[in-house]
Amino acid sequence: MRRRTFLKTAGAGSVIALAGCAATPTGNGNDRPPRATIDGTPGGTLTVATYSSFTGEDTAGNYLKSAFESEYPNVTVEFTVPSNGVNQYIQRKQSGAPIDADLYVGLNTGELVRADEQLDDSLFMHSRDYLDRGDALNSDLEIDPRGRAVPYDTGYISLVYDESAVEEPQTFDDLLESEYENGLITQNAQSSDPGRAFLLWTIDARGEDGYLDYWSGLVDNGVKILDDWQPAYQAYTNEEAPAVVSYSTDQVYYHGEGVNMARHQIGFLNDQGYANPEAMARFADTDQPALARLFLDFVLQPEHQATVAEKNVQFPAVTDAQLSEEFAQYAYEPPEAVTFTYDRLKGNVDTWIEDWAREVVGN
Amino acid sequence: MSRWAERAALPAAVVATIATLSVVFYYPVGSVFVEAVLESGRLTADPLLDILSDPFYTGVAHHLFVDPLGIPAGVLDWITSGFPSVALGRFGFTAYQAALSTVASVALGLPGAYVLARYDFRGRRMLKSLTIVPFVLPSIMVAVGFLAMFGRAGLLNDLLGSVGLGPIELLFTLKIIVLAHAFYNAPLVTRLVTTAWESVDRRQVESARAMGASPLAAFRDVVLPAILPSLLTAALLTFVFTFMSFPIVLALGGLRHATVEVWIYARVQALDLGEAATLATLETVLSLVLTYLYLRYEARQRSTSGAGQSLLRKPLTIGWQTLRSPTRLAIFAYGIVAAVVFVGPLLSLLIESVTAPDGSFTTAYYEFLFAQQAASAVGTTKPLPAIVNSIVYGLGTLALAVPMGIVVAMLAVRGGRGSRLAEALLTAPLAVSGIIVGLGLLQTMVFGTVLFGYRLTAAGPIAIIFAHAAAAYPFVTRNVAPALGGLDSRYRDAARSLGATRLRALLEIELPLIGAAVLAGAAFAFAISVGEFDSTVLLAEGVDSYTMPVALERYVNNRSLGPNLGPATAMGTVLLFVTGLSFVVIDRLGGRWEP
Repeated sequence: MRRRTFLKTAGAGSVIALAGCAATPTGNGNDRPPRATIDGTPGGTLTVATYSSFTGEDTAGNYLKSAFESEYPNVTVEFTVPSNGVNQYIQRKQSGAPIDADLYVGLNTGELVRADEQLDDSLFMHSRDYLDRGDALNSDLEIDPRGRAVPYDTGYISLVYDESAVEEPQTFDDLLESEYENGLITQNAQSSDPGRAFLLWTIDARGEDGYLDYWSGLVDNGVKILDDWQPAYQAYTNEEAPAVVSYSTDQVYYHGEGVNMARHQIGFLNDQGYANPEAMARFADTDQPALARLFLDFVLQPEHQATVAEKNVQFPAVTDAQLSEEFAQYAYEPPEAVTFTYDRLKGNVDTWIEDWAREVVGN
Repeated sequence: MSRWAERAALPAAVVATIATLSVVFYYPVGSVFVEAVLESGRLTADPLLDILSDPFYTGVAHHLFVDPLGIPAGVLDWITSGFPSVALGRFGFTAYQAALSTVASVALGLPGAYVLARYDFRGRRMLKSLTIVPFVLPSIMVAVGFLAMFGRAGLLNDLLGSVGLGPIELLFTLKIIVLAHAFYNAPLVTRLVTTAWESVDRRQVESARAMGASPLAAFRDVVLPAILPSLLTAALLTFVFTFMSFPIVLALGGLRHATVEVWIYARVQALDLGEAATLATLETVLSLVLTYLYLRYEARQRSTSGAGQSLLRKPLTIGWQTLRSPTRLAIFAYGIVAAVVFVGPLLSLLIESVTAPDGSFTTAYYEFLFAQQAASAVGTTKPLPAIVNSIVYGLGTLALAVPMGIVVAMLAVRGGRGSRLAEALLTAPLAVSGIIVGLGLLQTMVFGTVLFGYRLTAAGPIAIIFAHAAAAYPFVTRNVAPALGGLDSRYRDAARSLGATRLRALLEIELPLIGAAVLAGAAFAFAISVGEFDSTVLLAEGVDSYTMPVALERYVNNRSLGPNLGPATAMGTVLLFVTGLSFVVIDRLGGRWEP
């Protein structure tokens, strides 16, 4: 019955609404045009691909949509939230399937590297030099040497620890001490952003040749590696260990009357935190390049940057955004931010992670 | 219905079943598996050999593929050095934990079936309906429940501490993984075996006893042969499922206890689809070989049973005498264990859904659900549509999967050359990793398939129901086939000789006789649909066709109440109640059909 539906659909070249089956002529888009401009009033629909928690009630995405639409009344912002993130679009590009979004929001360095390694033609188009707000960007956060991905906020990976149970861990070596035996929960670097950031941080601290030994020491000292941030933090909340790899903004959620702040101390190992900037980029196949660029510039406006950062519980990507006093008081920035550049990750990151995973699983 | 239509109905159903499976299962999954054996367009065994000869994956068994001639010497070495422990590799470890999980599930599930089938007590039917509830619970919720129940500061340690025992450390060990797998799969054992046990013909037991057989002998010769196929089916399914277990392993055991599936997921994330496909192919081949061997065994075991009245149930409590009945005391001891393993985590989940981070009582998480429902912002995931969608898809799946399962069971029971192999292959939806099915659906249905210059895509509710039906129908087959095979063929032959078509004989004679098995299959089909995540989340994309598990997953990532799983636990509780109620309704409505 299903087959027949398909064939009939193909013959008529129409859309079957009930099943959500559709048939459209196949073909490819073009590549990388120069700076696009808008004649007259901006209008049309802008489709933003992102992760699910960026949208919905009381989110950064919803705020941006309302603000952008009230600034440009003829524009409608729509969100699409593919469950497998940017991989969805890499795979679409690989198989010649259409990309039905204009820009992607929520890209990190590793994902950009993966997109470039997987594809011959770039998934994204250049934006950086065409932006009015480009100069305001915090240059440490610019992850793309080719200027396609533009940062809009950043988090810092740090430890969150319970000062009533352990001393503040100061260095990576401290975590190998008996005081921290069975004392740390982290995440699987193969599938979790903070887990991956923490692994890269140890590679930065111990070098490519030393990090596996360091991890072997962590494993001997009883480090627990769970699949993602939520189970890890949940286990920390349930007092399974006195420290967890998390974000330096932890206290934004936990302060004030009746909160036991002892359990929400931020530990910057070596006085560092690992920066994990989030970026946005225009798809090379978009038919709305000018409107998408307008959106990028809009997100980088100081007032929008402050709101997006606070709603995402992250830090802004521009130097002139003003965070609210309360937020700034509880969101800690590390004395020194470390992060691997695009060029360092390219060609290396997959091997690093695979070697790490094999090391920690043991046999 | 005209006679002609009645004659054509069954062959048409077979064709429709195979066509459905081809579109929503074999073609999508084939599109992924082909990566395991093709390298730039040429057929190759290299990726498979790479995996098999990698000690990381196959442990000591990699010698088989690297240096088969050196094995006798290697074994000798191993014996002379005093049997040191051998490296299992990921496949070995995965099989090991699956075997342990199967044993634990049978040990926990079988007594439950005995109690439900042989004893009468208040709430027995309700309890029987609710047994499959754990089956639909998303793994992140099981992790929350287990953490709160068995964690270092969990309920169990609190209880043990209050009587001066403990604490016990279960988390991050193999034990907790096995326990979680038993939580998921013991209900499967209970449900399948209860159904079979209740179908045992009372008259057969009575005649055996009348002819002088002891109760034990009657059990061995009459009851055991009747329940053994179901028990082994349940054990097989448990092994196959726990072999492919994924998120729960990492959430409770940590990466040290990673299964093969963890690696498949990681490879898919890294878009190394070749290695993912190769690992998944090996996994599936292993599961299918086991299934095939089991089906051959089952075919030889089929015992003919009439359709009579089931065994009389004994009352569970008999006043003060209860305390002097060793069996009943053992049942109560079992009840305590079952309460700890099954009720404990579910209750803990419930408690978590009304507990603030500082331990005080809160209704904030349920208020969150109401606020989401009332919200006007686009992209808000609302609980009510999720509930409605889940139920609609579940019923749709049930309506499709039950006929599909019965049709395939009929093919299987008919026997003939190659029918075991055919059934094993038709059971494949059970034996393929959910990650791979999702990937296949993404590549073929969501991205579309080019035919005659048109790109054909399919997503949304109908696609979801078809995908769920493909995943669910083997459960119907596995419930129905043993019952159908055990049915005395004289009933059917009599009907046929009186002129009934095959369809009429099936609908009016056979199915009513095995109603309990069909009903159990239907409940499983519903459960599979409600619990399904991997395919649903891909096919529901961009449309408001999300289900309860998908909504729950989105609430997991929702930080509006801070970084805690509160909103998700509230949704998890809703999911528990909705599915629990659905199972009771399905059983009550379907129960009218039972003999």
